[in-house]
Amino acid sequence: MNSPLLSIRDLHKSFGHIEVLKGINIDIHKSQVFGFIGASGSGKSTLLRCINMLEVPQVGSIRLAGELVGFRDTPRGRKPLPARDLSRQRRRMAMVFQHFNLWPHRTALENVIEGPVVVQGMDRDQAREMGTTLLRKVGLEGRVHAYPSRLSGGQQQRVAIARALALQPEIILFDEPTSALDPELVGEVLKVIRDLAQEGMTMIIVTHEMGFAHEVCDQIVFLADGKVEDLGPPAHIFGEQAAPRTREFTRRYMERHQIEMGRPE
Amino acid sequence: MTEAAYQWNFQVIWEYRDVFLRAMGVTLSLAGLTIILGALAGLALSLLRMSSHRVVRWPVITWVELLRAVPPLVLVVWIYYCLPILTGLTIPAFQTAVLALALYSSAFFSEIFRAGLQSIDRGLVEAASSVGMSQAQAFRRVVLPLALQRMLPPLVSQCVLVVKNTALAGYIAVADILYQGQQISMQTFRPLEVLTTVALTFLALIIPLTMAANVIEGHFRRKYYR
Repeated sequence: MNSPLLSIRDLHKSFGHIEVLKGINIDIHKSQVFGFIGASGSGKSTLLRCINMLEVPQVGSIRLAGELVGFRDTPRGRKPLPARDLSRQRRRMAMVFQHFNLWPHRTALENVIEGPVVVQGMDRDQAREMGTTLLRKVGLEGRVHAYPSRLSGGQQQRVAIARALALQPEIILFDEPTSALDPELVGEVLKVIRDLAQEGMTMIIVTHEMGFAHEVCDQIVFLADGKVEDLGPPAHIFGEQAAPRTREFTRRYMERHQIEMGRPE
Repeated sequence: MTEAAYQWNFQVIWEYRDVFLRAMGVTLSLAGLTIILGALAGLALSLLRMSSHRVVRWPVITWVELLRAVPPLVLVVWIYYCLPILTGLTIPAFQTAVLALALYSSAFFSEIFRAGLQSIDRGLVEAASSVGMSQAQAFRRVVLPLALQRMLPPLVSQCVLVVKNTALAGYIAVADILYQGQQISMQTFRPLEVLTTVALTFLALIIPLTMAANVIEGHFRRKYYR
């Protein structure tokens, strides 16, 4: 196989005395869709946030197409990357947040084009054209000039995905993209992610939506206590060969889900 | 027998209109300078107070708490009478009043700025970082505009307080509107007319300020928060 697009090696992250990530190793190739699953506190969101340096790991390395992320090696050891270079790397790994994090004083379109215009100096008219196209792609052509407060959660998250796409990233990181949504709005966001997967976008999705992970992901990482407990295609993770803790986790999830589905209306 | 009703006579105000207008100019420039200097110092103090270094943070916290605990009149009088004795530095009355009131208000401005800046959701800054913005860009384009909107009502109340506090400057013989009003009322024996005019002048200065603030606030609310 050719070299991975994203390569995580022996990654450690602590908050104070609490070690949240205890040596993570993962390789992700172009056009792969990875799902990170695990109980809350297992470190899956922290791992995602380390990848684009919203959290700075203490040990280990992340490489994007071979390039060390967030640091540079000098004769006197490893030094943090200058802000300008970090900015350039972050734009290659767009982020979609659980709570959307749209800027409330900017319209949908302005949210989408803010990065390209302000950071990359893209021409405003050209950016507007691109932003409108992207909003159409996520099904929001009619809400281009709406402020976030006038949009539903599902619409806001779709604007956030368009904002991520506007960076023309090599990989998109989703941090529980549907956890803050009302159940009836989950589907519209998942559809957009599914379409991106079909187009061959490389993605990492931290999620609690097991059915969706099963359907869309090429590989699923099961994290427990800050370690990769299990890694494999959905058939493995949700099958009989999975590690005991993985089976315990998915079984409990299915049970809870069935109880909810079986509840009388 | 009832006493004859008081005969109001506002003629005296017209006669002294030049003095009143000049005094109003003094009050306005006192307030304007105090607000500008106080807000700038307050912004600096708030940024220092949010520093990650304890060595920077603690002196600032102490300084702000001290300023807030001293009555503004005491500050005016102390700088006017005591500072020259201690330092040999004599400052004219007007400048003293600006300095004292700006120092006093800077403590309150700094708390308003700190609360406003800290109230902005960290996620919005992370989103700015994730599209590649530098810290300075995120501050200028996301944090500051949102914080200013949120800070507008307390900032206006603080400006109103500054305008009112300018009346303290008369205590060290700055010819502001209250000081001049008292002078005129002593000369003309018309304290009711003169001091009522003084009070109305303050209303005329302050009410448009709060009304403008309400209009701006309503505009933002309608625009961004339905």
